[in-house]
Amino acid sequence: AACTIRAFTWHPHTSKFAVALLDDSIRVYNSSSATIPSLKHRLQRNVAAMAWKPLCASILAVACQSCVLVWHLDPTSLSTRPSSGCAQVLSYPGHSPVTSLAWAPSGELLLSASPVDTAMLVWNVSTENCVQLQWFGGGGVTYLAWSPDGSKVLAATPSAVFRVWEAQMWTCERWPTLKGRCQTGCWSPDGSRLLFTVLGESVIYSLSFSEYRGEMQGQVGGSKTASIVADLSETVFETLYGEERIGGEVHSMVWDPTGERLAVIIRGHPDAPRSQTVIAVFRTRNSPVFELLPCGFLRGERGAQPQLIAFHPCFKQGALLTVCWSTGKITHIPFFFVSAHVPCASPSRSPISVMASVREQPLFSEL
Amino acid sequence: VLGWRVVAAVAWSVLLLPVCTAAFIVLSGLDPFHPVRWISNSFNDFYTSYVIFCIFFMSVVILVISIFNVEFYAVVPSIPCSRLELIGKIIHPRQAIHSVVHAVMGMLVAWCAAVMTKGKFQFLAVPCTPSESPGDAVPQKCLNEYHLFFLLSGAFMGYSYSLFYLMNNMNYLPFPIIQQYKYLRFRRSLPLLIKHSCVESLYFVRNFCVIYYFFGYIPKVWICTTMDLHVDSKLYPLDTLTGLLDLSLFYHAWLCGVFLLITWYIAWLLFKIYATETHHFPVQPTFAEETDQCLPKILNSNPPLIIKFLALQDLMLLSQYSPVRRQEVFSLSQPGGHPHNWTAISRECLSLLSDLTQRLVAQQEAAAANGRAKQPAGELKVSPQTPGAVAAEDVPLQSQRSNIVPRASMSSLVKSSLMPLKTSPGSEVGSPFSSPALNCKMRIQDVNSPWQGSVPSPEARRRGPKLWTSGSDLQMNGSHHESFPVLSARVGSKAVQPSFIYTWLRNKQEQIKNFLSKRVLIMYFFSKHPEASIQAVFSDAQMHIWALEGLSHLVAASFTEDQFGVVQTTLPAILDALLTLQEVVDRYFKLPHVSSKPSRISGSLVDTSYKTLRFALRASLKTALYRITTVFGEHLNAVQVSAEHKKRLQQFLEYKE
Repeated sequence: AACTIRAFTWHPHTSKFAVALLDDSIRVYNSSSATIPSLKHRLQRNVAAMAWKPLCASILAVACQSCVLVWHLDPTSLSTRPSSGCAQVLSYPGHSPVTSLAWAPSGELLLSASPVDTAMLVWNVSTENCVQLQWFGGGGVTYLAWSPDGSKVLAATPSAVFRVWEAQMWTCERWPTLKGRCQTGCWSPDGSRLLFTVLGESVIYSLSFSEYRGEMQGQVGGSKTASIVADLSETVFETLYGEERIGGEVHSMVWDPTGERLAVIIRGHPDAPRSQTVIAVFRTRNSPVFELLPCGFLRGERGAQPQLIAFHPCFKQGALLTVCWSTGKITHIPFFFVSAHVPCASPSRSPISVMASVREQPLFSEL
Repeated sequence: VLGWRVVAAVAWSVLLLPVCTAAFIVLSGLDPFHPVRWISNSFNDFYTSYVIFCIFFMSVVILVISIFNVEFYAVVPSIPCSRLELIGKIIHPRQAIHSVVHAVMGMLVAWCAAVMTKGKFQFLAVPCTPSESPGDAVPQKCLNEYHLFFLLSGAFMGYSYSLFYLMNNMNYLPFPIIQQYKYLRFRRSLPLLIKHSCVESLYFVRNFCVIYYFFGYIPKVWICTTMDLHVDSKLYPLDTLTGLLDLSLFYHAWLCGVFLLITWYIAWLLFKIYATETHHFPVQPTFAEETDQCLPKILNSNPPLIIKFLALQDLMLLSQYSPVRRQEVFSLSQPGGHPHNWTAISRECLSLLSDLTQRLVAQQEAAAANGRAKQPAGELKVSPQTPGAVAAEDVPLQSQRSNIVPRASMSSLVKSSLMPLKTSPGSEVGSPFSSPALNCKMRIQDVNSPWQGSVPSPEARRRGPKLWTSGSDLQMNGSHHESFPVLSARVGSKAVQPSFIYTWLRNKQEQIKNFLSKRVLIMYFFSKHPEASIQAVFSDAQMHIWALEGLSHLVAASFTEDQFGVVQTTLPAILDALLTLQEVVDRYFKLPHVSSKPSRISGSLVDTSYKTLRFALRASLKTALYRITTVFGEHLNAVQVSAEHKKRLQQFLEYKE
């Protein structure tokens, strides 16, 4: 279904997000300012992904058809149309279309990948130098995910193989899957666990990596096999309104930065009647043992399918899930809980962990 | 450290030599019509004695080339700022030796290649084709011009390689942005190297053909006379157009060039890869004899520059990836409880940063003063023949005011932070009526102060003829007459009265400079290229980038890992240094030409990363500050910093910078 929203990304430190629309423009919404800068550039076509630079006020990298555009925006400016001069063009021959980007969490390097290029590019943005990381077999890269502790990178290819790179000496481990390509993946906050799904299968796999102590140079340290942690095949729920069939393949998956909530878009079987695309939310815990418990489902208005999901990187009161629907609406759904990991600043809060109060509040919605 | 690496690099390049030689033999016997015979002939040739001898000979050549690589390498590129400096660099005797030796090596390689190619290239003297003249029984020795062509083309390629080496700053060792194993780095660069060699060899052969066409007869005649050979009149002489359009000659010369360039570039690449590999410096020495090699000691002493670079790179890596070594940095010494490691490391990093700050401030002052001194120079140029004339009376007043302005334009922030470090007398700042002549004299005694850029100090003049500052010197002379009454009113100054001869000589110098500056040719050579001079200021910025990253990562890690609180005591100093440097860098980037990016050529073997070091410095400075503010958050408000700095920190905390 055609959706007006192409890509969505939250700023890693503030309440600011960027939305890429179908007409190749990007709008930046800020909760503390009323101006909405709109970014346009003649090279900005077919935007596939965006990423804000960590440890920075407002530098946005955009994956376009022929290059990577890095916008250097002024965080205090009130202009609604930043000039094209703010954008830095990073291009490399043979590296187009660029479909995935990932910044290193320490903020210095940018990884860009394209499905037709068998080499991933590691850019040093300020000097515009890049290093090619080449490998053989498997085609280009369809999905990139950098672990939040900065130690590993997941690179999924269009064939039935994905690679996990370690970010110190840039060696990689090759993981062949059983049936299809790795559709999506997400890392735990400490980088020790990778959850991924495979196209054509309705399960979630988990792969654990040994604790990163910094002394193992050049080893990724992954365990031998991946284990299945969740089965999302179709089941029938009896609800007040009748039978509900929920289940199927996973479209995308995100893990919130505290490691407590996992949101998964499950696409129902297209042939079956009354099957729908829902978002399933799980409660997770990574230490001392990994635990994945179903928490609830999210559904939008009638006829609206969820397209993109993302968690707010620094929501203090729990987790904030942002969903972009196919109707062009963006909704923010808060989950209020006290996280076991983040030290509680104010002792006056109740220590009982509250489960979801699943409210739908259309903030920042647009057509 | 470097010694072993060089030996390893040379060993590997010599080991790769037979592979290249084999490829060369196969390709030089190119015979597309008889492939089987071609391959079998080539294989037979591998084992002949002269090929083995040639390989041995070439190893010696590679050894000599590597020695030159080691002698000439530099981690900080030397960037010529004006065309005169560039010419000076080329004709410098060290460079001349480099070129001559490379030319000789090139000739030797070409000789080896010619010998291995066989056919008509093999020998210098061949029997001439028998002539029809009767009675000529003894066949004479003729000059094999092809062989000579080969040798000379080898020499030319050697010389061109040396010239390119110099022009492209190939002696600069760039450190890679990501760490990779050496084999991977080598394998990644190999296709680019081969392609680059092929293209470059094409250019060299083309240039050499042109040169040989015009000047080829000189060595021909010389060889013929010395070795008593005759020129074969039956064959076409090569320095004509028809002679040079020989395809097989062109192909073989090009192949020889490719072979030469590939072997030399491989040696250079291996040296680069080995030299820039990270070295693990221990933070805490376990044995007493290792004390000299541990990281804090090396950073504080003055080791050769590459060791310092490697130490800083190691600091950056340990701060990011190694909790065990970070613990060693944060540890206290055993009997006394002093954080020696942390103090040494932080002191060195902070001194690097403050040194850069001062350098940039000096540059800014010079630039600001140049902009202001141009005005009086404009009106004085009208009458260059009357120095010290009465017409210059009104200039001193103007120049006094112009001297105050650059001083006042320095923000109080930078002044207050640099004040404790300077020993300059406070009276210079106070008096608004000090004449520039006095300032010039006092500067001779106080050469360390970086503030007095308004009138060029003697060492600034020594740096290079800055013709645009001649006006301020003239005004100095002009105000000489007026300065006498002011002199006596001066309090606490030890200025010497400028003698008349001295000023007259200075005057003449300025006159000549003024005259020459009107000559376009002189300006062409002497004018400083702005982009190059900016790059020269930041040429060793890689050190500062690593110091910034290492320091900020350590501070960020100390939030959770520092058990004794050694970092907290130095936190105000660190924040001060970072914020000051950030201000200075921001202001520097407002100068003309600084923020324009030089054009980038992707896919070239030559590394030009030194041209954009200033952008990397600015970005990593900002990232370092954000790293500290993100980790500490609101706790930073408890750190003791000045009010101005507090305001800026607040901006960082709100992500508004």
